[in-house]
Amino acid sequence: MFTAGYISQQALNGVVLGSMYALLALGMTVIYGILRLINFAHGALITLGAFCFYLCLTLLGLPFIAAIGLVMGFGALMGLVLNAAAYKKIRGGPEVSLLITSLGFYIFIENLMKLIASPQPYAFRPPVFLSQLNKVGTVTFRTIDIFIILFSLAIMALFTAFVKKTKLGIAMRATAESIETARLVGINVDRVIAIAFILGSAIASITGFMWGAKYGQISYDMGFMAGVKAFVAIVVGGVGSIPGAMLGGFILGMVEILSIGFLPPGFAAYRDGIVFAILILVLLLRPSGIMGRKEEVHV
Amino acid sequence: MLKVEGIDVHYGIIPAVRQLSLRVEEGQVVALVGANGAGKTTTLKTIAGVLQPKKGRVIYNGEDVTELASDKRVRMGITLIPEGRQIFSGLSVKENLLLGAYYRKDRDEIKKDVNWIHGLFSVLIERQSQIAGTLSGGEQQMLALGRGLMSRPKLLLLDEPSLGLAPMITKDVYQAIQKINETGITILLVEQNINIAMKVADYAYVMETGSLKLQGKPEDVMRSEEIRKAYLGD
Repeated sequence: MFTAGYISQQALNGVVLGSMYALLALGMTVIYGILRLINFAHGALITLGAFCFYLCLTLLGLPFIAAIGLVMGFGALMGLVLNAAAYKKIRGGPEVSLLITSLGFYIFIENLMKLIASPQPYAFRPPVFLSQLNKVGTVTFRTIDIFIILFSLAIMALFTAFVKKTKLGIAMRATAESIETARLVGINVDRVIAIAFILGSAIASITGFMWGAKYGQISYDMGFMAGVKAFVAIVVGGVGSIPGAMLGGFILGMVEILSIGFLPPGFAAYRDGIVFAILILVLLLRPSGIMGRKEEVHV
Repeated sequence: MLKVEGIDVHYGIIPAVRQLSLRVEEGQVVALVGANGAGKTTTLKTIAGVLQPKKGRVIYNGEDVTELASDKRVRMGITLIPEGRQIFSGLSVKENLLLGAYYRKDRDEIKKDVNWIHGLFSVLIERQSQIAGTLSGGEQQMLALGRGLMSRPKLLLLDEPSLGLAPMITKDVYQAIQKINETGITILLVEQNINIAMKVADYAYVMETGSLKLQGKPEDVMRSEEIRKAYLGD
């Protein structure tokens, strides 16, 4: 009953979902690495990005490229505002206050969107050229699937080059190791953190567009589960590891799709449960994740 | 060059340093010695801007820098090489060195400085692309020194450079410290190993439980009653 066509079809879906998780996990892990903050507000950026795209393309009729640019710019700005308005003041305090602040920000945005947009989901139509159906062998896919995969890979490659090769990127990794030591070599830590928020948030908002385009609808609460799963991806891949976060994203996407595609029909509703079961297993068996290093504690 | 005027530093409500004043003149090596917990590291961190004093001022080249963040002080020439070789252990040796020159834009001069540091610590050349956390203790201390020098400091603050090193390696590190001083860089050195510190110092301060106990030329300090009692067991 599982034909080769069916399997490759599911695998493609898994890669598409995995790409989006990987993108979200990328931004989240950079912020976690520096501030030890599970940034729930990252989920809000997904929702905001999706609605921003809807506004630009569907309501205002702007060209596709302009809408993409505007969404990323808006996301970057929101990241900057969030950092300056909410996090900057309480940095250095207990880590749990950062966590609660990010949760608070998420709840604020979710309810704001409920108010502005409505509690009903919106139909989200990507531009026509992305909705086109293609067929290669037995696999049918829309252009948006390929777009998501390629665009995600491009962003991940660029980001990896940024943290490996540029001075700012190296400084970002150094800041994640120790804020105090980073300051001692003359790194302006506030600036590095602001840039981490800008990049992470821009990437999250563009993921919001991808999400809407892939599943055909957007809603005020779409960012929550996506954000939480991105965090699971980070833990699976290894907390603090950028390649680990991306790998974790792909693994999670694949597992989720395969569990819908291959388990008996009644089990599809457990997709979220399966993801969290993986989280618990990883925490039990390999708490440092697939690529994570054991954290050294300096006394 | 550096004047510390009557600083009080607290950790929460616990006082760590009380009414401490000291001076460092340009070109000198000044040693700040004392037992564990005397407040040496706290003093150094306050000068570097990691900690803020409750009272008192830090004056550098006539300017009050008490309120300035540590990354700003690095730009002015004050560089702290923290205790315990706090290099970036997940980054390569080369990346560590380059981050030392983070605020600098003069690429050609940065290259020259890398070469100078490679001359000073030749072991770092072959380790360039190695992850810094895999270096030996002595190599990490050399990397920490090298990284600090990359900022072109005028005043170098060294916190326990001999900590946890074998005697042979300590000798190498101190030879390098003397070479660094010969290039005109002023050094304020914190050490528990009083003998070795006194050999390189032009002037010495002795701390005990948060305040200054004694100061003077190293030979005078070493002859004093208190030091003989505390360190030499007479």
